[in-house]
Amino acid sequence: MAMIKKKATVVIIGGGILGASVAYNLARQGLKDIVLVEKSYLTSGATGRCGAGIRQQWGTEMNCILSRESVRIFETLAEELEYPYGIDYRQNGYLLLAYSPKEREQFSKNVALQNSLGIPSRQVTSAEARDIVPHLNIDGLLGGAYCHTDGHANPFHVTFAYARAAERMGVNLYSNTEVLSIEKDKGRVCRVVTSQGSIDCEIVVNTAGGHAAVIGEMVGLDLPVYPERHQIMISEPVDAFQVPMVICMSHHFYIQQTTHGSFIMGQGDPNEPKGFNINPSWQFSVELAKKITSVLPHLKSLNIIRQWAGLYDMCPDAQPILGESPEVKGFFTASGFSGHGFMIAPYTAKLMAQAILGEEPEINIDILNYHRFASGQLILEPAVV
Amino acid sequence: MFDTEMLIIGGGPAGLKAALSAAEQGADVLLVDRNPYLGGQLVKQTHMFFGSQKQYASERGVTIAEILTREVLNSDKICVLTDTTALGYFEDKSVALEIKGTFKTVYPKRVIVATGAQENTLIFPNSDLPGIYGAGAVQTLMNVHGVMPGARVAMVGAGNIGVIVSYQLLQAGVEVVAIIEAAPRIGGYHVHAAKVRRLGVPIYIAHTVVEAHGRESLEGITIACLDEKWQPVKGTEIELEIDVLCISVGLSPLTELLFQAGCKMEYVPQLGGHVPYRSENLETTVAGIYVAGDVCAVEEASAAMVAGQIAGLAAAGSLGYKQNNYEAKLKDAKNELAGLRRGPAGEKVRSGLWALTIAAGEAV
Ligand SMILES: Cc1cc2nc3c(=O)[nH]c(=O)nc-3n(C[C@H](O)[C@H](O)[C@H](O)COP(=O)(O)OP(=O)(O)OC[C@H]3O[C@@H](n4cnc5c(N)ncnc54)[C@H](O)[C@@H]3O)c2cc1C
Repeated sequence: MAMIKKKATVVIIGGGILGASVAYNLARQGLKDIVLVEKSYLTSGATGRCGAGIRQQWGTEMNCILSRESVRIFETLAEELEYPYGIDYRQNGYLLLAYSPKEREQFSKNVALQNSLGIPSRQVTSAEARDIVPHLNIDGLLGGAYCHTDGHANPFHVTFAYARAAERMGVNLYSNTEVLSIEKDKGRVCRVVTSQGSIDCEIVVNTAGGHAAVIGEMVGLDLPVYPERHQIMISEPVDAFQVPMVICMSHHFYIQQTTHGSFIMGQGDPNEPKGFNINPSWQFSVELAKKITSVLPHLKSLNIIRQWAGLYDMCPDAQPILGESPEVKGFFTASGFSGHGFMIAPYTAKLMAQAILGEEPEINIDILNYHRFASGQLILEPAVV
Repeated sequence: MFDTEMLIIGGGPAGLKAALSAAEQGADVLLVDRNPYLGGQLVKQTHMFFGSQKQYASERGVTIAEILTREVLNSDKICVLTDTTALGYFEDKSVALEIKGTFKTVYPKRVIVATGAQENTLIFPNSDLPGIYGAGAVQTLMNVHGVMPGARVAMVGAGNIGVIVSYQLLQAGVEVVAIIEAAPRIGGYHVHAAKVRRLGVPIYIAHTVVEAHGRESLEGITIACLDEKWQPVKGTEIELEIDVLCISVGLSPLTELLFQAGCKMEYVPQLGGHVPYRSENLETTVAGIYVAGDVCAVEEASAAMVAGQIAGLAAAGSLGYKQNNYEAKLKDAKNELAGLRRGPAGEKVRSGLWALTIAAGEAV
């Protein structure tokens, strides 16, 4: 392995979608001497393990805007990044299922908010839901919400597209390089110590996903981000027959057919303890298979070929922490994505780059600064799986 | 969900012997194999074994499989499930099984992984054309299913499997056009190579496949001579018209389960690839998980059978089953395995093994 650079303007920690896209946006703004360090390999974290669904049907204004603008970017991303393989981007819609009057009421509020922000979602009856997904079992279903411009993309291609474009503009990307500590000088970050050597720098960007709090600790910050295992599994590929993503919040699961025909599905476990464990469990696949086949009975004969797990970088209000820390100058965080960091990364990275370069971000992201936890001004995102 | 004292994954020579040895000491055994039959690679081996007298020398592999399978099926301590795949080893120490299409979990007190190895392949232009097989696959096709793979065959690799399968192809009436070997010498036992040479099959040493040709399926290959740096020499190309290419370039241990269970692994080329650390008793670094056979070192059936005995005995012993001359048998088996690896043929394995051996009780 070549020796790593000893000096940089910015050191970005973490080679997931956030690290790669922030690196690209900074370089595109003309910043020089950018280094990205990844302790394992690109996409080895949550990004390479995620469902890669992209929806705009959120319950807070901020999440709606971040996802809406990201969708705009996704639409032409492969061309923008001159990535020859494409990013498998499809806009096949998301169908959210409501099983209780409370849920239906929440959807109605969410749809009103989304529509006011230009997101073309709508409420649907259970019969309409079955028109959208013909093999849906609508027993007990009270209705739902649907947005036809939601979709998905290939998380590996997206990350590599950003990373390759960043490298072409001179970003140095070091994998198998772990950040061990961060040094400060007069309240400012000044050096990142890695397993491959130290890098003097002016700015550190913490995009370490589930490990973001560990990185925060290195500069004495107590970021309220914590890791939580989420499991996921995939079926053999079959001909396309379920086009949109189906999400069931009350039973905590989602399922979608990917471009190449495999069904990818996951569920959140409300009793999952905090921690870095990413070993899959057999109980997950058994439970999820039961739930899915009761809602989508057609999938009974589908063979599951693989299951795995990754970490959500959870934040207490299910919204990310973005921006510079007032206590430690030059230390920026983009983490706490709570299970939807892939879909909002393109726009988030753009805003982060603006903030890092000292410009006024296109939209005000102050409410996502981590001080909201001290002041208690939390706006809870209601629409999470 | 059901319980068993000992789960043995893989019903090849190692797994069968492990089951018999553990059962003989008094342990209850569940033996699973993803194939519809027991015997593993033995069932397609119609040639006679050398090996040691104790390990059925001069018997054919298929006969050994029959003998061991019969003994296993006759044992009231061993329950056999075929068409059953072990899917994973989980944190609650369960093993998930897919039994003829249904999902079940078992909670064994001990697990012996005897999953064997899989064939390596080669990459060259058009290496995915139909008609290009692993040599072992061709052997299965002919000797287990009675299907002729084609009319004109070339074999890549002059190790034991390469030459034995070439000979079996000839016996089946298939024309063997050439054996192609990248190394400057023949790797297999001399007797086997001499047999095919007598039948007029040319063995091209220091040659490799450069490219395959064909529209729908394989129609021919280009081979070329290799220089001392293993690079093809321009101008030495030879065209061979064939409809089947057999690739016999070694085996890699089938270690997914061990990786997934968290066993400490190491890449040791002499042993065939990634293999687990193991104690003298063949216990891995995950307490309660033992290994035997090709999954822990690609060798041959005799060594696999003795390793199976060691793992079966040791795993049973660790559960307190030591009723049947336990200590002496375990010692004998260990001596026998060392003996099998003593000659020059065992040198490679010996040189790979020492770094991997952990002290008994080091498992966590
Ligand atoms: C099962 C599952 C399903 C999901 N489904 C979706 C979905 O459908 N849609 C969606 O939008 N989101 C989804 N997510 C969430 C999404 O994956 C994440 O929010 C997103 O990938 C976060 O990207 P990131 O770059 O911040 O983090 P990561 O991809 O985790 O990248 C962080 C990187 O930092 C590295 N790192 C950590 N510590 C150090 C160190 N000390 N030194 C150097 N490098 C370090 C890690 O190795 C890692 O590669 C899902 C997540 C999971 C687990």
